[in-house]
Amino acid sequence: MTKDHSLNFYSIFKWVIIISFVVYAVFPFLWLVLASLKTNAELLDNPFKLPKVFQFQNYSNAIKEAGLIQLIINSLVISTCATFLNILFASMCAFAIARHIFWWKNVLFLMITAGILVPLNALIIPYYAIINFLNLYDTRFGLILVYCAVGLPVSTFILTEFFKGIPKEIEEASYLDGCNFVARYFRIMLPLALPGLATAGTFQFILCWNEFIYAMLLTSSTEIRTIQFGISYFTNEFFSDYVGMFAAVVVSILPSITVFILFQERVITGLTAGSVKG
Amino acid sequence: MKIKKDEVGWLLLFIAPTLILFTLFFILPILFLLASSFTNWDGIDAEFVGFENYIKLFNKKSFVRAITNNLYWCITAALITVPLGLIIALLLSHRSRGWKVFRTVLFVPQVVSSAAIAMLWAAVFNAEYGLLNFILDNIGLSDYKNHNWLGNVRTANAALIGFSLCYVGYFMVIMLAKTASISEDYYDAAKIDGASQIQKDFYITAPLIKSTFFLCIILAVIFNLRQFEYVYLMTAGGPANKTQVLVVYIWNELTVQRLGRGSAAGVIMIALGAMLLLLLRRILKSETYN
Repeated sequence: MTKDHSLNFYSIFKWVIIISFVVYAVFPFLWLVLASLKTNAELLDNPFKLPKVFQFQNYSNAIKEAGLIQLIINSLVISTCATFLNILFASMCAFAIARHIFWWKNVLFLMITAGILVPLNALIIPYYAIINFLNLYDTRFGLILVYCAVGLPVSTFILTEFFKGIPKEIEEASYLDGCNFVARYFRIMLPLALPGLATAGTFQFILCWNEFIYAMLLTSSTEIRTIQFGISYFTNEFFSDYVGMFAAVVVSILPSITVFILFQERVITGLTAGSVKG
Repeated sequence: MKIKKDEVGWLLLFIAPTLILFTLFFILPILFLLASSFTNWDGIDAEFVGFENYIKLFNKKSFVRAITNNLYWCITAALITVPLGLIIALLLSHRSRGWKVFRTVLFVPQVVSSAAIAMLWAAVFNAEYGLLNFILDNIGLSDYKNHNWLGNVRTANAALIGFSLCYVGYFMVIMLAKTASISEDYYDAAKIDGASQIQKDFYITAPLIKSTFFLCIILAVIFNLRQFEYVYLMTAGGPANKTQVLVVYIWNELTVQRLGRGSAAGVIMIALGAMLLLLLRRILKSETYN
């Protein structure tokens, strides 16, 4: 297909729309980064003017005073554990459903995937009660368990679809060679399903990393607080130190943006796969 | 594969973790929510009170406002955000110049946590140092000098809705992925027939991604029904409950230990979600589920 490079009305319209949305989506971020390098006094001035001196100490202040490093480590530990457990459990269940015949498998699959449509935030009161009942309030494990569980419907769905797409001859050959159930899962299916595991894992990890309401609901002590809940404290703690708050927000979004830029394709498939098919 | 008798145990063992967690965090909470919504549970004691919670809720202005606001969010997303996403997806379809860069850039808000986005946009709307007021002031709209967008009863909802448009990229990406799967043959045939680019976009691409468009509407409605962070962190439901939404309402009931009342609000929210989904399925003729 040859491309039409002439400037007609349509292509002008097209670029105006696209550029204006790019500005809308990204401009606030750039402004935030610039503002985080100013002093509080300069902030009230022209927002597009560069600061006289780049105030990098805003960052060191925010990191020190709010313990951002601890918050990031907490988020990292909780998100990694929850993602690992989620993918392990979901892939086991998906393997059972996608590769075996038993009479209640469709009911099971439908029930679990229907969980995708439940507006889970309506359930904060029962979650609070259940986690308290299990004596897991204000523990990392409690949060890991909840994160692992809320992601199960999407992960099970993505992985079941993926397992179904793997040719069954490979598994049958290994079956005839005497591979048992567990060996077929670990040695044959998991290695073949790596792209699917990565997609579901990316989705789950970003879900955990960005989660806010359960972190606020189920934890209270600073030692286990996650980054998303942690930065929301800045609205109270710093009061008039806006630049400190901006620096903290920038630090909190840097990991997500870095991962996104490095693994773009994976992240985009990960974040849309669960929905495109669901 | 048929299950051998000696492998049934393994099969059950593989399903068990997911099934247990699903029961514990999906089935049980819903039943629990339903049960406690008929009580005056305050965290310690619970007594059966029948439909009292529901009646009280529907008599509360702030609760009815929360429902209407949630519906506003859903309708804006379905009628503005998703169609805008469709337009951008059409404009960027068939690998138009720079499509990858634009896709990446427009997807950024989806990757960043909603807590951070909420704080970012609260800063944009800020009265003293906000970006928006500065821009408006400089293009001559100085009426809005030091206007507190999120704190003013007239503009708080408009500001929130305006902010939500930054999520256009997510739906755009989903629909763009679908356009990539359309066979080039259609476009070649149209070219021979002398179709212009705009005709190709609106007469070939648009109808072929209709089911994905409907799917995006359903997603948008679910997201906007359960949204919490934006309102909680930007306005906390204020001023004067003007921007209240359901989850923030439930959260407030939870913090004052009116757990029975909060549960009733939760039941209403789930019922509302189910009704919206059924309604959408009917309107969109189940085309999304093929």
